[in-house]
Amino acid sequence: MGDMVVEPATLKPTSDPTPSPSGNNGGTLLSVITEGVGELSVIDPEVAQKACQEVLEKVKLLHGGVAISSKGTSLELVNGDGVDNEIRCLDDPPAQIREEEDEMGATVASGTAKGARRRRQNNSAKQSWLLRLFESKLFDISMAISYLYNSKEPGVQAYIGNRLFCFRNEDVDFYLPQLLNMYIHMDEDVGDAIKPYIVHRCRQSINFSLQCALLLGAYSSDMHISTQRHSRGTKLRKLILSDELKPAHRKRELPSLSPAPDTGLSPSKRTHQRSKSDATASISLSSNLKRTASNPKVENEDEELSSSTESIDNSFSSPVRLAPEREFIKSLMAIGKRLATLPTKEQKTQRLISELSLLNHKLPARVWLPTAGFDHHVVRVPHTQAVVLNSKDKAPYLIYVEVLECENFDTTSVPARIPENRIRSTRSVENLPECGMTHEQRAGSFSTVPNYDNDDEAWSVDDIGELQVELPEVHTNSCDNISQFSVDSITSQESKEPVFIAAGDIRRRLSEQLAHTPTAFKRDPEDPSAVALKEPWQEKVRRIREGSPYGHLPNWRLLSVIVKCGDDLRQELLAFQVLKQLQSIWEQERVPLWIKPYKILVISADSGMIEPVVNAVSIHQVKKQSQLSLLDYFLQEHGSYTTEAFLSAQRNFVQSCAGYCLVCYLLQVKDRHNGNILLDAEGHIIHIDFGFILSSSPRNLGFETSAFKLTTEFVDVMGGLNGDMFNYYKMLMLQGLIAARKHMDKVVQIVEIMQQGSQLPCFHGSSTIRNLKERFHMSMTEEQLQLLVEQMVDGSMRSITTKLYDGFQYLTNGIM
Amino acid sequence: MKIKDNVNCLFQHCIQALGEEHPIRVVNALQTLCALIRGVHQKNKSTSGFDIINMLMGFDKAELCMKNLMESLDSLLCAEGSESLKSLCLKLLLCLVTVTDNISQNTILEYVMINSIFEAILQILSHPPSRREHGYDAVVLLALLVNYRKYESVNPYIVKLSIVDDEATLNGMGLVITQALSEYNRQYKDKEEEHQSGFFSALTNMVGSMFIADAPEKISVQTNEAILLALYEAVHLNRNFITVLAQSHPEMGLVTTPVSPTPTTPVTPLGTTPPSSDVIGPVELPLDADVQTSNLLITFLKYSSIVMQDTKDEHRLHSGKLCLIILTCIAEDQYANAFLHDDNMNFRVNLHRMPMRHRKKAADKNLPCRPLVCAVLDLMVEFIVTHMMKEFPMDLYVRCVQVVHKLLCYQKKCRVRLHYTWRELWSALINLLKFLMSNETVLLAKHNIFTLALMIVNLFNMFITYGDTFLPTPSSYDELYYEIIRMHQSFDNLYSMVLRLSTNAGQWKEAASKVTHALVNIRAIINHFNPKIESYAAVNHISQLSEEQVLEVVRANYDTLTLKLQDGLDQYERYSEQHKEAAFFKELVRSISTNVRRNLAFHTLSQEALLKEFSTIS
Repeated sequence: MGDMVVEPATLKPTSDPTPSPSGNNGGTLLSVITEGVGELSVIDPEVAQKACQEVLEKVKLLHGGVAISSKGTSLELVNGDGVDNEIRCLDDPPAQIREEEDEMGATVASGTAKGARRRRQNNSAKQSWLLRLFESKLFDISMAISYLYNSKEPGVQAYIGNRLFCFRNEDVDFYLPQLLNMYIHMDEDVGDAIKPYIVHRCRQSINFSLQCALLLGAYSSDMHISTQRHSRGTKLRKLILSDELKPAHRKRELPSLSPAPDTGLSPSKRTHQRSKSDATASISLSSNLKRTASNPKVENEDEELSSSTESIDNSFSSPVRLAPEREFIKSLMAIGKRLATLPTKEQKTQRLISELSLLNHKLPARVWLPTAGFDHHVVRVPHTQAVVLNSKDKAPYLIYVEVLECENFDTTSVPARIPENRIRSTRSVENLPECGMTHEQRAGSFSTVPNYDNDDEAWSVDDIGELQVELPEVHTNSCDNISQFSVDSITSQESKEPVFIAAGDIRRRLSEQLAHTPTAFKRDPEDPSAVALKEPWQEKVRRIREGSPYGHLPNWRLLSVIVKCGDDLRQELLAFQVLKQLQSIWEQERVPLWIKPYKILVISADSGMIEPVVNAVSIHQVKKQSQLSLLDYFLQEHGSYTTEAFLSAQRNFVQSCAGYCLVCYLLQVKDRHNGNILLDAEGHIIHIDFGFILSSSPRNLGFETSAFKLTTEFVDVMGGLNGDMFNYYKMLMLQGLIAARKHMDKVVQIVEIMQQGSQLPCFHGSSTIRNLKERFHMSMTEEQLQLLVEQMVDGSMRSITTKLYDGFQYLTNGIM
Repeated sequence: MKIKDNVNCLFQHCIQALGEEHPIRVVNALQTLCALIRGVHQKNKSTSGFDIINMLMGFDKAELCMKNLMESLDSLLCAEGSESLKSLCLKLLLCLVTVTDNISQNTILEYVMINSIFEAILQILSHPPSRREHGYDAVVLLALLVNYRKYESVNPYIVKLSIVDDEATLNGMGLVITQALSEYNRQYKDKEEEHQSGFFSALTNMVGSMFIADAPEKISVQTNEAILLALYEAVHLNRNFITVLAQSHPEMGLVTTPVSPTPTTPVTPLGTTPPSSDVIGPVELPLDADVQTSNLLITFLKYSSIVMQDTKDEHRLHSGKLCLIILTCIAEDQYANAFLHDDNMNFRVNLHRMPMRHRKKAADKNLPCRPLVCAVLDLMVEFIVTHMMKEFPMDLYVRCVQVVHKLLCYQKKCRVRLHYTWRELWSALINLLKFLMSNETVLLAKHNIFTLALMIVNLFNMFITYGDTFLPTPSSYDELYYEIIRMHQSFDNLYSMVLRLSTNAGQWKEAASKVTHALVNIRAIINHFNPKIESYAAVNHISQLSEEQVLEVVRANYDTLTLKLQDGLDQYERYSEQHKEAAFFKELVRSISTNVRRNLAFHTLSQEALLKEFSTIS
């Protein structure tokens, strides 16, 4: 609890998200450190500074040289008084009001700040290079994590712990697994340095709290059971789950402690900036409208359901902040466990649908999908859309989840329940008053009962007649609608003039209309997911929206998630991080490689959720359903060789193929059969299932010895061995490897930290990190690298083991 | 007169006693009321309803009396009191409702209309514990009350039932109906298996099959017409109820029986949500791999398939008819159609098929999982195939074909391409036409066979002219032509028959000429392709063409065939109960009333014994 007491002080730097106007910045930041002297007990800036200097001497030899040579210019500038603005919290966007306020005190403040700075400079004649590095704008989160991990100095660790507050939330979030793993498995000092930040963020965001709790649980699980119980990770987890970290009214507690005029500490501060629209606010207001008394029971139930809601709304906190969400996750997992006991896919699917329809009765509730990127409440699970995925002994399944986006998860009240059958055909997308919705309408659409009672007659008179006919958009003006025309003829004209149609036309229309939807897969009871995944995402969203009682709401969104029960997703998370890092490296270096990292939520050491890749089906499904070679499938889907569509699909294929070949090589991704490679609607390939990476490989049969998977089929799509695209592919690989090599530290660091205390199979053996580093070939010249790429491509092409492995998979698992 | 005063006095005291604290007094009062109402009715069977009211309560006090009675019953039913007390209250109400054979002549019910106990019934249905105990009685009571002077006056129960939108209540009602129906299905299945494995049935097949038809009948008649009526009223009156039909739950019959429901503790998946949200019974689904998920609609379809097997008996004819009426209502509803045709909701529905000489019993296990509409169509096909008999159930056939037509209209309108083996339907329909013609003289004496013939021909017209909108593949359109050409003899015969009757000035002139006009496209197809096929055979020197060869000729010669567009093929008259069905429902309710009354007497007695025990303990 000691941390808690001093926390207000440590929070100060972030509590001041104000971007100080230029000329004042360096002062503020430094003053943070000096100010801390009197108040901080944990982090003593003097110690920190001294330590920094000591470390500096060592570091200078290693990194310092590099830092100075490459960043010398900026560091020199720091010395000048006028360019202090180099040192600032990079994340703080200028806020108009704040700026004005500060302007008033700027003259005074800058004066003192500069004074303090000069004094310090005098005191320590030797400038602390490390501190300068830390203060420079080039010091990013990746470096912070790296120093936090490598430094043995408590002072440096403490400083960086403090410094975390200055980074953007999203940036730090990326390294959350690393931070927590360090917290669990490394020594006391690192933990102490990290904890205040974690606690602070937990107070701000419920989603962050959940992620922390889940990750802490998952990463602690490798410890021995006796140590685990008393470990720091377990304690912090308990603290988070005990809900002591609920967002409190910090503003009111603080004034005595922090003399700063700025009270931007309120948890809503940041989230408010993030909010998408103010439109939802009015909805949340109107959702509080009482339902009409047409059915008293609905109302009662509703009140019970939202009892927790009320308390949150009133006191800004609830006794069970995380409980509903944890229950939600638990019930999803329970479904997965029960499905695993059923023998056939068909039974699994049916059971899944019926289980989800039961779950629906508890929704809407104060629950959310952690894989989503915005605040929302889950309102409905369209249970008939759920599918069981292909897996031999476990039962992963894919569900779609309807959510209502909201401004702030904590403050927005849970939407009211709308009964299932409140779907009106007239409530299609076209009829929606989009944004020009008046306030009354909006209120009406939310206070469900009165709205629908009005149109009872409209419903009951002629349901079928109201049906919206979905005409194929392809050709509405052509002759295809004679049969439709006949309907009109009945109502409009009573003439006895007989209408004649040609039987051939009917037959032709039938085959034409079917030909227009060639891409739909056939339903296969053994592979129920193929159809569901093949349907274009936009179409699915539209379809589900039309069938949903909540579909008319403007903030309605559709999400999807794969629930995995019985699988360890920690390796998947590691792979996601590496992929994400590579993606941003390639983006930074402008190499047009394409990869698609998909989000992972680790729930425990043997369960989790995955964000599905939309508009993508596995190559196995493609081949099985279409009975075509990959190239022919491309031609069927995108058009002939010379068409724009085919060429862009081919380019996408090459760029993604090159990206994933590098990923597979660097991470040593194994188990690359066609069921684990997806193909999306634009021609990209996407590798999934990173169950075997780095030091682990399936069953050690000695298959897959090649660097990556490159079959002749893939090469055919690229236009053959001598084609331009194939050369482009090799060139992309080379560029990608050079770029990745340049930033090797950023990649290796992610893996290295996660190795701490881990018993994951991918870290098996002692040479995992060394081998990983070797694969970047730091010592090679670019010419040598080019040769290496050629060799790898050649080797993979000719690799008999790939073919063998595919054959093996076909024989054992029926994967084509 | 003396008796009247005494009865009045007793009645009033009973009503007063209902408000008493001590349960035994309430029990006695309820029992006495039952006896009084029964007794007075039995003694004065011929007298009018008003006289009975006078006899029981006296005209001057009747209104107040009944108001008090209904209020007391309402509060007893809603209170947290003893379950057997509630049960007795429901018995009293059922007794009151069924004292007359014709419910509409029961004038006392006028007071039940004024002082509604609708809310109390709903409450019973919405709470799982009370639903388990009293659900059946409550549902039957509701079904009967809804039928009181249905056509003559405004019945508040009809109005209220039609606007219920509480999911918990509707689900509760659906569950009660499901349990009753699946219990019947289970019993039937047990019986069937018993007989199949029986030693004697193997020896005396004839006797055995008669016995099968006989045995389950006894179970069906008593228990199910009332519940079927309740299902009908719910589906017909309340559009929200349609969702309940598709509500999934594990096969009820295998898990729990309505007689002794296992009191499972409700487990709420989301801890914070109210415990009362245990809407559809046991949430903890049993981990039985054999259990197939089911829903009310599936149970109903299975039930229908059993009931429709044999329609010789009047009761079963009524049940079968009611089943078809319910299916008609379902086929007209948009939401129902949406989930019937939902590609993602696939089920395996084991319909019961009548054992017949010329076909084997289909293996149950290899049924594919399909959208529910396929099961409905299967059921209709099954009915068409199995009921071509002397006692021709014309009315049922008309309804059956109507259901198919309505489903087709939906598919055409929404462009649903159902992967169904339409061929089975086509050949069933053609066989039906054949049957109509071969029994023309017998049937014409009783029925207007031309309406049915017209409907069948128009179904074909629907396929011919609108096939492009809902047929699954181009080859299925070819198959349609093949089937028509193959069976051209039947259509030719039909044509010559209707032509004959429409040229003769007889009572069927108009009806027959309609069929003549409807046949124009079918005749065009036959006349167009037959010569082509013959010349193909002649050219290639083949005497008997294979199916593939015929299809080839068909495909090659579409373009020279012109069809005439017929009006109104995809229009249908919506189902309406008023007028047309009124007589049927009156008769049905009468028989249900008698049944309920007969069963009630027995139940009340056992209830009394139980209650005595209860009251001495407390």
